[in-house]
Amino acid sequence: MIDYKHLVQDDRIHASLYTDPRVFGDEMERIFHRGWVFVGHASEVPRPGDYVTRTVGAEPVIMVRAGDGTISVLVNRCRHRGTMVCAADRGHARTLTCPYHGWTYDLRGELLGVPYPGGYADFDKGANGLPRAPRVSEYRGFVFASLAADGISLAEHLGPATRLIDRSCDLSPEGEIELTAGWVRHRCAANWKMLPENDSDGYHLGFVHMALFRTIQSQYRRVVGDERSIKAVVRDWGRGHIEIDWSPGYEGLFEWLGSASGSSVARFVAEIERRDGPEAAQRRFREGPAHALIFPNLFLGETNIAIVQPVSVEECVHWHTPMFWKGVPEWNGRLLRMAEAGMGPASFLMPDDLIIAGRNQQGLRARTSPWLLLGRGLSREIVDDDGRIVSHVTDETTNRGFWRHFRSVMTEA
Amino acid sequence: MSTSGADHRAVADFLYREARLADEARYAEWLALWTDDGVYWMPATADPGADPERHLSHIYDNRARIETRVKLLQTGVRHSQEPASLMRRLISNIEVEAAPDGELVAGSNFILAELAVQAKRELHWWAGRATHRLRRVGGELRMSRKTVVLVNAAEPLPNLAFLI
Repeated sequence: MIDYKHLVQDDRIHASLYTDPRVFGDEMERIFHRGWVFVGHASEVPRPGDYVTRTVGAEPVIMVRAGDGTISVLVNRCRHRGTMVCAADRGHARTLTCPYHGWTYDLRGELLGVPYPGGYADFDKGANGLPRAPRVSEYRGFVFASLAADGISLAEHLGPATRLIDRSCDLSPEGEIELTAGWVRHRCAANWKMLPENDSDGYHLGFVHMALFRTIQSQYRRVVGDERSIKAVVRDWGRGHIEIDWSPGYEGLFEWLGSASGSSVARFVAEIERRDGPEAAQRRFREGPAHALIFPNLFLGETNIAIVQPVSVEECVHWHTPMFWKGVPEWNGRLLRMAEAGMGPASFLMPDDLIIAGRNQQGLRARTSPWLLLGRGLSREIVDDDGRIVSHVTDETTNRGFWRHFRSVMTEA
Repeated sequence: MSTSGADHRAVADFLYREARLADEARYAEWLALWTDDGVYWMPATADPGADPERHLSHIYDNRARIETRVKLLQTGVRHSQEPASLMRRLISNIEVEAAPDGELVAGSNFILAELAVQAKRELHWWAGRATHRLRRVGGELRMSRKTVVLVNAAEPLPNLAFLI
């Protein structure tokens, strides 16, 4: 038994959490099997028969919409001999048929039939469907699954962090986002936990992304400079959900886009003002979409949606796609170009993050001093009226929030 | 439209030179190969129906963004290429056509060996087909469009922060 209470302390964590394959195995069971995991967005499977293939932790799954409109998360493994049923990243099907011996399932995973059924004397089709995630739940189109039959509800898991998802979706005039641009997947030679930690780390920007700051003006310029002049904050929402909020440093509207002007902006603002009133609309366009990690694997990356996929103890994949706002399709081109600038293997930001993560993984092989320090900001963080822990954007409040929840999940009965 | 043997040789020389400049991290010289309206595209799928206005790409740079890409590499603090990967690429299967506007359209296959020296020191193999549109500017060939379709364009990829 691994002593997680020893390895995860309030102001430091042990290197083996990133390097020990036994820890990875425990995480797959306790975080990715028992807990709620983001799988995909309803807009990726708009019609009955549409499916995408994903993983829930190490488990290959199919997210598929059935004829009645419901979305299932099925394990991508034929009940008969274990063959992967769907090989494509996405597709459309009336039934799901295993290529090996032709076992055929409906879109909810029920076994419809097997060829030459006379070979089975007493066969219970009802007990031989595709294994399925027993619990699947949506929030504003975000589909989450748990592979365990029992546990807390998705609403309990998300808690007040639904407001982070709302912040991104409410920028759409129709209140809905669409993920239709396709995903880019970026391989990272590091433990998966470095991605959520880095995605919510406000301390590294001026260093890891120094090349970008030296080259172009960006919306992040307000968070590099004198420590006391930086207004952005980090927040720990509880249950491992953690946020960087740049918006206290934003003075005008659309600073989170760099800048924006022209008729498409005017129409966008007018649409939201009509729905929410001028004051709320101005606030939405000043604040912009969320920059937050929904534990364990969904990153609301401002105008992008990203997924953290663990592969092995020293390898993971960062997925991303631009978030399109339903109702203002004229913005899609801009959002595509923002996604390409920020994320992915050939972009201007993430390659630098992921190479540093790779260097972290190499550095953690040194065991002379096995502890990583997480104490930054402990003496100045505060608890706000909503019970969230808030601190200076460069503080490790987010890391501590992630690890506090990690410890709780890894040690609960 | 048909092309001459001289066109073919000029295109091959251009492609070999472009490859060598990229391999050797000679960023300013590589940038000088572009026309002022250059477009650099690497789709995130090998599907020929890819549309950069609807689908996410790995790279879809206009001329200004090509310059930003090069300037990042020239800062000396682009960690994903600091130090620069050691690279050599082979170019083959060159086919040249003339477009109706007089530009030459060159297809070529490539294999690129990249030693990514920035963290784990791994050798990465890249392969695909490039399509160059080449225009004569002041007697010299320049790229007005370069499209690179990796065979594994839609798969998880490691860092690709060098010039491909």
